[in-house]
Amino acid sequence: MSAAAARSPAASRPSWRERRELVLVAVTAASAGVVGLVNPGFLTFENLRFVALNSVVLSIVALGQTLVIAMRGIDLSVAPLMGLSAMVCGLLAQSHGLPLWGAVGIALALGLALGTLNGVLVAALNIPPIITTLGTYSLFGGLTFLYSDGTQVDQVPPAYAAFGNAGPLGLPVPTPVLVLVLVTAACWFALNHSRFGRAVLAVGNNAAAAYNAGLRVTAIRIQVYALSGLLACFSGLVFVCYTGSATVTTGTGDHVELQSIAVALVGGTLIAGGRANVVGTVLASLFLSTVLTALVFLQVPPIWYSAGEGLMILVAVRGGTRRAGGTA
Amino acid sequence: MPGLYAAQGIRKSYGTVQVLKGVSLDLKPGRMVTIMGENGAGKSTLFKILAGQVPPSGGTLSLDGAPLALASPSAAHARGIYLVPQEPALLPELSVAETMFVGALPTRRGPLGRVDWTAMRARARAALDALELPIAVDRPARTLSIAQQQQVECAKALLRGCRIILFDEPTSPLTSHEVEHLFSIIRRLRADGCTLSFISHRMDEVLEISDEVAVLRDGLLVDVVDRPSFDRTRLLSQMVGRPMKAVPRRSVSNARDEVALEVRGLSDGARFHDVGFSLRRGEVLGLAGLVGAGRTEIAETVFGIRPAAAGEVRLGGETVTGLDCHAMIRKGLVYVPEDRARHGAVLPMTITENVTSGLLERVRRRAGLLSARDETRISASAVRDFRVRCAGLDQTLRELSGGNQQKVVFAKWMTTGPRVAILDEPTRGVDVGAKEEIYEMIDAMARDGMALLVISSESEELVRLCDRILSVYEGRIVAELSGAGITPAAVARSYLTAAAPSGGVAA
Repeated sequence: MSAAAARSPAASRPSWRERRELVLVAVTAASAGVVGLVNPGFLTFENLRFVALNSVVLSIVALGQTLVIAMRGIDLSVAPLMGLSAMVCGLLAQSHGLPLWGAVGIALALGLALGTLNGVLVAALNIPPIITTLGTYSLFGGLTFLYSDGTQVDQVPPAYAAFGNAGPLGLPVPTPVLVLVLVTAACWFALNHSRFGRAVLAVGNNAAAAYNAGLRVTAIRIQVYALSGLLACFSGLVFVCYTGSATVTTGTGDHVELQSIAVALVGGTLIAGGRANVVGTVLASLFLSTVLTALVFLQVPPIWYSAGEGLMILVAVRGGTRRAGGTA
Repeated sequence: MPGLYAAQGIRKSYGTVQVLKGVSLDLKPGRMVTIMGENGAGKSTLFKILAGQVPPSGGTLSLDGAPLALASPSAAHARGIYLVPQEPALLPELSVAETMFVGALPTRRGPLGRVDWTAMRARARAALDALELPIAVDRPARTLSIAQQQQVECAKALLRGCRIILFDEPTSPLTSHEVEHLFSIIRRLRADGCTLSFISHRMDEVLEISDEVAVLRDGLLVDVVDRPSFDRTRLLSQMVGRPMKAVPRRSVSNARDEVALEVRGLSDGARFHDVGFSLRRGEVLGLAGLVGAGRTEIAETVFGIRPAAAGEVRLGGETVTGLDCHAMIRKGLVYVPEDRARHGAVLPMTITENVTSGLLERVRRRAGLLSARDETRISASAVRDFRVRCAGLDQTLRELSGGNQQKVVFAKWMTTGPRVAILDEPTRGVDVGAKEEIYEMIDAMARDGMALLVISSESEELVRLCDRILSVYEGRIVAELSGAGITPAAVARSYLTAAAPSGGVAA
């Protein structure tokens, strides 16, 4: 007499969760408006551009995290990966004049390689993802320390700064925003309309069942962690381009791993896997970026920022686990 | 007709444990071969090997005479072999249609490889229609009942063009009504020439649906019987290796006059209404009915884990309505739920830890720490009293068979010294030999004066155990059987007549 057997399908009809995107847009706009009334400096073009670029960096990481969580995994190592990539690309550019295309190649290759390492540890060696990525969190963070050798990035070549801040072909929209649109579209298509994405969701729903249905679960897992690493490293490059700086605490200092998990969950991805919301992730990143910047404008002491993020995770997980019609 | 699937000398070992010791079996098109045997006999392992989920340690498989090596479940699907698992492969967040197509989603032509949702839905609909299953393809899979999940699995097999279909104990979670529906699907598949095989513990079903019965015991095939020579007693004795009598009706009642549990006008406002009964000390009272009739909900409400909207529960004359379950246990009422793995047994913990987890308050302690010696004493006596077969008290529950796990769960509750016990499906997933032991245990508890309320979907079980049987249909008690009126047929009839459109409650 399972609870599932007893419920009618109608039990799962629309709630606010079904219109999460609208809610996120409304809440973000409302908070921006309120803060603007208190401190008009918040609504200047410069500041809004800063909020947007900040959210782009987070969004790119969080889209990878969304894929991982949709598959019922978790990737804590995204924060040091982002930092490592920012440091490697930034230092090579600063001291060796690495061209931008070379930096893109290095960031992608680094992310792919280290993300695959995560995937192999999780999928082939069967180490639980939270342990694996906690371990590689320290490992990748250590690599950043080793590579930086006490130095830091405080200036990048003009091509990098232009890539990070200006639009291509004189467009008013910064390149990173356009890149995010492309990445989001690709993730959305993959999760909603491609065999690969549907396989990711199937694994997240029930890995044993997915295997028995003929899916290559191990390969899918490795690919998803590789993608997460790739996106984390790419966002590190975007970060160093638009800020022109990177230190050994880039990524880890802002708890990007927690932020990316928080926005994925707030965006509507289930922590238990099996359901993902790509657009929700991006909107939630924008929301978080707005709130964090707003706290600065409202002169809230920085020590409260991570408390706020923590609260956001708890609220998101509590809301997300109460799935309609779910089994008790 | 193609579809002759043969296994030759299949062996399988896990470490030093030999699960299958050379099993040869022929599955033929248009025939249903049932595999019977106690838990641990190797039935499920054999099926997993046949379906490519587990590689054999030795032996060969062949399909229509050609040798066959199956590297994975998908390789088996490609050769037309499909296993309907014991726990259906539910993907809760996906639609029914997508669940059916997982791993084989149709795509549109084009560079993007976009999934063709329209074609997927249409083909899923057609497959369900072919089996006359009225299940909406866009429903989230989590809303399906277990019976529907199995029906979807059958359609899924056909969808993948699989004509050799294996069912791993499909009927154990189903009510007799749902079993009938499943069997009508199976008959249709058989008439269509599919090669079929299934595992079951339920003798009546086996006799009804099978063309051949193969009996496995300790990893060996000990008997293959053709339809004309089916014999209940022979099958039972082949399974356990010793002669056994077919399920008898209990003869002596231990019921005393003193009322132990009284329920009046109980309702939870949704699933059941106006339920009333009284249970005397030493009495075994059965609750019969279809799965979903509200029996578990009644038990949960009596036990205090589901709120009551109206009515009264009295335990030994004292009103206990509305108390929480901790208070109920202290008052002497326990509830042994149906889903052992989820609510009863802690599989990774040892026998001792499981047994004493229900009565930590009573274990002697020194300086706030539990006395290990006292724990061992309690669990040793429980293992002895409940005849748990184990290598030692520190074995984890996961290593025990289903029957022995259930005995440990019983031991856990019974050591709290309850006056009234509610047992929900006490022998679900338990093999034939251990079933009888559990029945004897229940008899013994009744002899000691415990009042027992037993929920079971197996009519024979209720007949074997109960002094009285209440029949529940859609949340109401529709009949009461007692004395000579209790027969398997009468029990099934008592709630099925309520379900029949013609109406009329018979007992």
